[in-house]
Amino acid sequence: MQLEQISFLYRSLYSELKFHDNLYITHMNQFVLQHGKSAEMLLFPHILELGMKKNGSIQLNMFPTTIMEGLRIYHIIEGRFEWHINHQPYVFYPGDVALIMPDIPFGCDNDVLKIGSFTWIHLALPKKDGHIQPGKWSGLSDSEAAAIGKILSLNNLPALSRFNEVGRIIKCIYTELSEMEVAFQARVNHQIDELLIQITRKMTQQTHSTRDFPKTFTQLEVLLRQDLAHQWTVEEMAGLVGMGTTLFTEKVKNYSGFSPINYLINIRISEAIKLLKRVDITVTNIALDTGFYSSQHFSTTFKKLTGYRPSEFRKNHLRNI
Amino acid sequence: MECIITIELGTNGIRVFAYDLRGCIIGSMKGFYPTFHAEPDHSEQDPEQIFITTLYVLKNILNEYIHPKKYKVASICFCASMHSVLAVDKNGNPIGNAITWADNRAKKEAQELRDSQLGKKLYELTGTPIHPMSPLVKIAWIRNRDAERFRLTSKFLSIKSYVIHQLTGEYMIDYSIASATGLLNIHTVQWEDDALQYAGITANQLAMLVPVFTKAGKLKNAYQQSLRLSAETKILIGSSDGCLATLGDGIVKGEEKASITIEDSGAVRVMGPNILKDEQMRFFNYLLTDNCYVSGGPTNNGGNIFEWFTRQFGEFTNPFDMENSIQQLMEEAANVPTGSDGLLFLPYLLGERAPIWNANARGAYFGLNIKHERRHFIRATIEGILYEIYSIGKTLSEQQTINSLSVNGSFGTIPFCSQLIADIFSKPVQVRQQFHSVSFGAYLLSATEMGIYTSLDNVAPVAEIPNVFKPNKQHHTIYADYFCIFEKLSAKLFDEFEAIGNLQQKYAHPIKHL
Repeated sequence: MQLEQISFLYRSLYSELKFHDNLYITHMNQFVLQHGKSAEMLLFPHILELGMKKNGSIQLNMFPTTIMEGLRIYHIIEGRFEWHINHQPYVFYPGDVALIMPDIPFGCDNDVLKIGSFTWIHLALPKKDGHIQPGKWSGLSDSEAAAIGKILSLNNLPALSRFNEVGRIIKCIYTELSEMEVAFQARVNHQIDELLIQITRKMTQQTHSTRDFPKTFTQLEVLLRQDLAHQWTVEEMAGLVGMGTTLFTEKVKNYSGFSPINYLINIRISEAIKLLKRVDITVTNIALDTGFYSSQHFSTTFKKLTGYRPSEFRKNHLRNI
Repeated sequence: MECIITIELGTNGIRVFAYDLRGCIIGSMKGFYPTFHAEPDHSEQDPEQIFITTLYVLKNILNEYIHPKKYKVASICFCASMHSVLAVDKNGNPIGNAITWADNRAKKEAQELRDSQLGKKLYELTGTPIHPMSPLVKIAWIRNRDAERFRLTSKFLSIKSYVIHQLTGEYMIDYSIASATGLLNIHTVQWEDDALQYAGITANQLAMLVPVFTKAGKLKNAYQQSLRLSAETKILIGSSDGCLATLGDGIVKGEEKASITIEDSGAVRVMGPNILKDEQMRFFNYLLTDNCYVSGGPTNNGGNIFEWFTRQFGEFTNPFDMENSIQQLMEEAANVPTGSDGLLFLPYLLGERAPIWNANARGAYFGLNIKHERRHFIRATIEGILYEIYSIGKTLSEQQTINSLSVNGSFGTIPFCSQLIADIFSKPVQVRQQFHSVSFGAYLLSATEMGIYTSLDNVAPVAEIPNVFKPNKQHHTIYADYFCIFEKLSAKLFDEFEAIGNLQQKYAHPIKHL
């Protein structure tokens, strides 16, 4: 038997077992609510679309590849779907979630939509420092919202497996929007926060096995270097690898010999040294590019570690040219 | 009170130790730096980050252990991994990252040279096996494949030479690191013209060749101030990790004792006045001092293979708790009969160097029957890793008598492993717990330079008395029987190793299924 078939059988079995989880949702009717068209959505400009689709027969030209500004989240209820996200094929089974970041192409191969059902939500999330972030409607604190936005943007994980929680939350949002009971506005926004929190946590769990700290640390290192100018906090770093800050700090210290922030300073100074050896960038810009608050902060840290002020260091290394 | 500081620039980071003059540890610290793999065969490190990490850790250890107790630092002695190459321009600024020993980009150059007459000659003259790890073929690769870097390069340094140049302004390379470049004639202790010609460089593109006791200049003013060290602090060039591990392990010239290191990777080494010659070019011969060679063979597959096994099959009751998970598996393995009831493991997951020197080699479990259980796999994995160590020791002992062993490194010093080594080799094994032989070797070197010992042949016995694991004859008989099959399989599967490796490459694809 082909591996894929085995995997499929396993998935089918799995979805049988999980049938009760999905029961409430399989018995729902199809719906689509769109911002600007549906009255229910008036109070929620950040929800672009909310829907549920039951596809009884294979349909052509139903699911073309599109690019959107919002964040798109799809949860599979029944069937098997082969979707392309950013031109890469992924196979989704019941319980799986597709997560499409803003401006990423998404659709079916050959526009063919297979039999099955799924539910989705499209969210408009404002961008801050190049990363999406929950907007004013959110109850998250600024730092937690920033961490979530950063983790979502950086992890680049478009497929999350066995994740029925997403279906449950979308269903809950739909019920709130339909029934409009007292305080439904707050409830809907709570649910969207909940959705983003759950997705973020799932993402970090899925990206990081708890068995290989060196690998986890390497992945984190790459992300830090990609955005050295960002004012990283320990919470953000720990969040990126799906750990609490206490365990994270202990593991980093144990593995690298440095606290997370001191390790980051290592990378910052190393990058700064490379830039100081080039003539085409000012010391102030080097400071900001490598994540120091100011050229003063850069100068003090640099001198403390190397014994030289950045300008002195630069003079020494350029004099021979 | 005076003290000695040792700095080891290793594969995964830096380790700094402070010793008093009797060799007792005052304190130690480490600092990690990453290895980058921009392409699968590439393995690079950032020289600036290595330098900054060195300064940072040195500063921390001075501030925590040395200055508060008013120790005076007599010397700072360096040691480093072998085989690294860093190109710098005429201002001493790096062109690209440093290429580490684990880098395989020059495999085509290495294969061609190894198969040629020149290769055989260079191996005999330089003592360095012809392999992608060797700076000789790495420089040839840069010349062939990165002409721009080659043209701009003023000097090809080792990582250690770069760090020392930052600290003192001197370009120097010690005999040990130089003898691992494939460019040094170990008989005459001069750069070898044929090797330079093959690489396409001249001797002044290399750092100045000096003995391991050499003072590599004076610490620059700025560092004297920021580290609060005096101008008299001696910066000793030191040696390589392999040579110093052997020295630090208490191996003395001509003592008929071998040193086994098993960390992530491993090596078996002997030390003596003679160069080991080998038609099949299996051994390295590195120079510690005049007429003192450290010879042996390296393996790619040591503790890292058992970590791989643990990640796949360990329990992990706590997240990321590798040590505890390894401990649990060791306990399970101890309850499996010697020889794992006939389950054999070939540990070549990362290809192999000595003694088979086959980059295509792959891992295998052999001899499975219906009675084998999970626990047999655990023990077989450990036995397989140690059979491989034995196969290096066995080829070495064809040329040099080995009567006893000393084991160091995080994997080899696990008591269960040390006992297995004693049984497989049928030789007594000495182990010191909580002991870091590379750094201790650097201490011995510094202490000898200071005149505390008269020569490296005459260094004092290590303060701590080692544990001795005695071989068990019955176990040895069983291991010896199974080892015959292990050895045959390793050679016999040559074609199949290549075939499966090719298929793995042909069908390699990123995993996209959930």
